[in-house]
Amino acid sequence: MINKLFILISVFFWTTFSFGQMDEEVLLIARNTGKKVVATGDTIRTMGFALSLMENPPVPGPTLEFVEGDSIEIDLWNVSQGAPHTIHLHGLDVNQQNDGVPHLSFDVGHMDHGFYKFKAPQAGTYLYHCHVVSTIHVQAGMYGLIIVHPADESQTTWTGGYEYDVSMSLMMSEIDTVWHNDTIIKHEYDSTLAVHKVELPYYDPQFYLVNGYSDEQIPEEGMALNTAVDAVNYIRLINIGYKGNRVVFPPSFEAKIIDSDGRPLPAVETSDTVFIYPGERYGVIGVMPEEGVDFISVDYFDLNTGVFENTQEVPIYTEGFVQLPNQKRSNYDLTVQPNPFDQTIFMELSAAKGGKLQVSILNLNGEVIDVIDERIISNESIHHLTYSNATLSSGTYLVQVKVDGEIVLTQKIVKN
Amino acid sequence: MNWKKILPGLFFCFVCSQSIFGAVVHDTVYINKGELITIDTNYYAFYAFNESPDFVATNNRINLAVGDSIYLAVVNTDTENHGFDVKNTTDYDVEILPGDTVEVPMLFSEPGAYIFYDHLDYPKYRYLGLGATITVDNFDGDQFFWNIKDHLGDWNDSLDGGYTVDWSMYYPDYFTINGFSNPLINDDPYARVAGAVGETMRIYITNTGQGTHSLHFHGYHLEIIYSSKNSSHEGRVKDTFPIESMETLILELVPDKTGEYPVHDHNLVAVSGGNIYPNGMFLTMLIE
Repeated sequence: MINKLFILISVFFWTTFSFGQMDEEVLLIARNTGKKVVATGDTIRTMGFALSLMENPPVPGPTLEFVEGDSIEIDLWNVSQGAPHTIHLHGLDVNQQNDGVPHLSFDVGHMDHGFYKFKAPQAGTYLYHCHVVSTIHVQAGMYGLIIVHPADESQTTWTGGYEYDVSMSLMMSEIDTVWHNDTIIKHEYDSTLAVHKVELPYYDPQFYLVNGYSDEQIPEEGMALNTAVDAVNYIRLINIGYKGNRVVFPPSFEAKIIDSDGRPLPAVETSDTVFIYPGERYGVIGVMPEEGVDFISVDYFDLNTGVFENTQEVPIYTEGFVQLPNQKRSNYDLTVQPNPFDQTIFMELSAAKGGKLQVSILNLNGEVIDVIDERIISNESIHHLTYSNATLSSGTYLVQVKVDGEIVLTQKIVKN
Repeated sequence: MNWKKILPGLFFCFVCSQSIFGAVVHDTVYINKGELITIDTNYYAFYAFNESPDFVATNNRINLAVGDSIYLAVVNTDTENHGFDVKNTTDYDVEILPGDTVEVPMLFSEPGAYIFYDHLDYPKYRYLGLGATITVDNFDGDQFFWNIKDHLGDWNDSLDGGYTVDWSMYYPDYFTINGFSNPLINDDPYARVAGAVGETMRIYITNTGQGTHSLHFHGYHLEIIYSSKNSSHEGRVKDTFPIESMETLILELVPDKTGEYPVHDHNLVAVSGGNIYPNGMFLTMLIE
């Protein structure tokens, strides 16, 4: 009896104080039916991670932003027939169980859920990607960026680090369309084996990507560093491709390399050129001294031969002389409680920017069940919402917040 | 002369000189020709510096303390001329005729990891396997040694047959550490990092291949203790470490948790062998 009581108390304390109270919960849906339009206008097939079933999984996947020290739970829901998937939390130094290497932790089969629990490490730039037949699944698009902000949520590079006004992430990768045909995406695997052996095709990419886009797509998508004179710009550089990158900043930017792989460098390196290799991340700060248009150039070179293969350019638009005010990391913040809930759930939405607000409840197929609120909101406003639906069956749902028609927040809620 | 009074002084001087100037080491390496047996049991022409005239695909390692002198006898057991040189130190530029032996005296006064290699007809014989490691360090914890390398099997036979290749077209199909691919790398006790939480360990990495490799560690960040190419990188704490051809690194690991964690090339094509995933540059660390 005493033993049973001890076990019950132990389980209670472990669940309550280890990971019982999550600061942030994220639902990522693994899909292998994604579609992506490349720079030639052709559509290729992809694998990827999405926040809802209605969403085509983007490449890269959604950026996950956490606060240092927070308890995080990522619910990986695999909705893709074929090989299982995982999430490797690249650089977060999580324990073996949550490391996402299938034969050393666990994998997640079709229609199954897998839960990754960890404390957000020190502020910095990290990655997540699938680690099942990773050569194929990463090339197929199953990767994304993780940004961990300082515990005080200040706009600094890390706790006690550099303050910055503008930030931008440049994630480099490539696409070889041969790797995106049905045969490769639906590669064979033996579900009885922990390690899946798969034959790889020759790798010879046609598209060299920055944040999933290349060539004319970059200006068409509006990708640019939009900044002001004397604003401090913090650029996160990430290489998740299979080539080397040479990133060159304008000399006037006076780039300083300040961090790598989620850690401050012991000595700042002043250089307008940063070499970054697969799996690495670098942080660079710089200031544009005058108004105008300039470019960050990204070269791609082969790791076997050193031969340069491609260059992409990301514009820098420097306008205005006014020192930009420090901004919060997101314009919107939503807290829900209790979660899970029985009958009624209470929400508080903080909005730094105003617009036409719509808050909806969705099922996991992305279908709208209820629209909770629609109204015009002002800048720097706080809104309290209540949701109750007696006919709602038990299960997992999503709260979706749109402002001016754009999804700005999605949060998972659970009805008991 | 009162030897009883002088001897302790002489012994003291000897100990001091050893601590200042290091030991004098005599060693022998043999240049042997054989075959690399790949993970999918293909055989390709290969050479190695071995500790005996018997060929093994794993190159010999020489571990010295700072200040040590070494007289290294290099024996050429092959029927072709071979060379001997050391990267990032004195230019030795030694040529060794077939069946001949040359003794090379060397002094290592700076800590680091060095590559001794065959510089003749460069990069032919170094690419074909004649690239090995000298470590110079006074570290007394557990040490692990990774001689990483890429191979394009068919080119090994072509080069060994006297043909030339276009290195701008190089696309390797095998990736090894100490001559082994996954999962056999874990069977090499010099490669497989095994230790305990809180223990300080060092990994000595040399890239004797042709390409650049980007080694990603799961579970831990490590500190760069030494970099042959970028001394300004020493002290950086990272989880991913690029290493170019003929570059060396010394990394220090102090694990903070138990578990089995992979290390692999994050150019994920290099995690293959014979185009089969995951038969390439992938191993695990075991921390208890």
